[in-house]
This record gives sequence, C-alpha cells and structure tokens, in this order.
Amino acid sequence: MEALLGSIEQLALIKALKTSFFAYPVVNALHILAIGALITSVLLMDLRVIGVIRSLEEQPFVKLLRRVAFWAFGLAVLTGALMFAVRATEYAGMPLFWIKMGLIGLAGVNFVAFSLLRQPAAKRVLAGVSITLWPLVLLAGRFLGFVL
Amino acid sequence: MRRLRTVLLAVTLGIAMPVLPALAHHGWAWTEDGFFELTGTVKSVFVGNPHATLDLEVEGVVWRVELAPPGPTMAAGFTEDTVKPGDEVVALGNRSLDPNEKRMKAVRITVGGKAYDIYPARVPAN
Repeated sequence: MEALLGSIEQLALIKALKTSFFAYPVVNALHILAIGALITSVLLMDLRVIGVIRSLEEQPFVKLLRRVAFWAFGLAVLTGALMFAVRATEYAGMPLFWIKMGLIGLAGVNFVAFSLLRQPAAKRVLAGVSITLWPLVLLAGRFLGFVL
Repeated sequence: MRRLRTVLLAVTLGIAMPVLPALAHHGWAWTEDGFFELTGTVKSVFVGNPHATLDLEVEGVVWRVELAPPGPTMAAGFTEDTVKPGDEVVALGNRSLDPNEKRMKAVRITVGGKAYDIYPARVPAN
C-alpha cells in the first residue's frame, strides 16, 4: 500500500502538479465547481422527491438533475484523485480522509437502494438520508484542507 | 416555495456554522503573535501544493512546521533538496495557539547557518 501510494506521487503528471503555480489551483477550482453542481443537483432532487418542491413535475426534473449529478460526481472524483495523488501517503494516513470516503460510500449505497426501491414513502426516507450525507461529505472534505 | 427557502437556509446554516472556527491553517489567525524558535532534526520534507511542510523531530516528538505554498517557498531558495532526513534545522515563526498542538508556521528556516526566508516580510529585524 505504502509503495503504491509512493509510486503514485512519483508519476510525472503528479510531480508536475505538485509544484505547479497554475494547474493545481485550476484543479482545485474544478473540484469546487463539481462539488457545487453535485450538491445543488442532489439537494434539489431530494427536495423534489420528499415533496418540498412541488411546482415542477418529478420525472423530467429528477432525470435532468440526475444527469447533472453524475457528470459533477465524475469531475469531482477526477479532480479529487489528482489532488490526493500529490500527497497520497499523507492523505491515506488521515482518519478524516477515510471518514470522507466512507460517507461517499454510504451515499453510494443509499443511491443504489433508492434506485431499487419502488415505495414512495421509502424513497422519501432515502432522499432524507441523501440530503444529510452529501453535506457531511462536503464538510469532511473542507476540514481536510485545514488539518494537513 | 416558502418552505423550500426555509429548508435551504437551515441546511446552509447547518453546514456553515461548524466550519467557521476551523478556518485555521491558512493565514496566521491560528498562531500566536510572538515569535517561536524550534530546533530539531528533519524527519521529512514536502515542497508542493497546497503548501510546503517540514516535519521536525524534537526530543522524540514530531512537530509539523508549515511553510508557504511551493512558489514562494522555492522562491526563497528552499526546495526538497535543501534538507534531508537527519539534518539539524532551526525554524523561526509562530506556533499554534493550541499549546497541545505540535505545529507552527515558519517565516525563516535555517540549515547549516544558511537562512531561507520563506515569508521575508514577516522575518523580524535582526
């Protein structure tokens, strides 16, 4: 594990990112952009499912936002992986990093369960779980930036 | 829509409030005003984004010495090749307000008599 993390840090692209004046803040900004789009789309979807938002028809609204959420999540993973790689060993040694990964994992399980379930009442409960989990992921991620 | 607004406001406040006291390690708000000098041996060095760090061992305890982002750190002449594990280093700067936290932010690093001014404007007049 240690060796793998060390070799990730030694990749040419990652070494360039490590001391770059320009690229790293751009990657960081794209991560923030992705998080903003992800959280916004997830919260709006959840609020629609729960029934707080009623003015728009559920099916097309959720379909659109789900597509936004997928792309945003993909961008967040890509940019997050790049920043992780710069100091892979250090981040991998931080409990908070694994708490964040665990929360993302829970949100993923929650999403799969949401997709499988049919009962509206159960879906509303899972939407409530989602509305709690994603801001917690955001919070864990933000704290990571200040404990390194 | 009124209910939506209330929910969104509650969520925003819920996220923002616990974050506020954590706005620490950027800038100097988390450090003491007076200067602090630490002498130790290098355990590891990292000069990269988001900021450079130096881990110093002092009497068996490892201190995290924060430097600047890689640009200003390297501009001061300090790179990962400047020190190697085992080297004795003096870090001058400001330590954490939390006395239990073994952490400081350096304005000057001295290695073998040579000084590297990481934050030149903050180095006290000699």
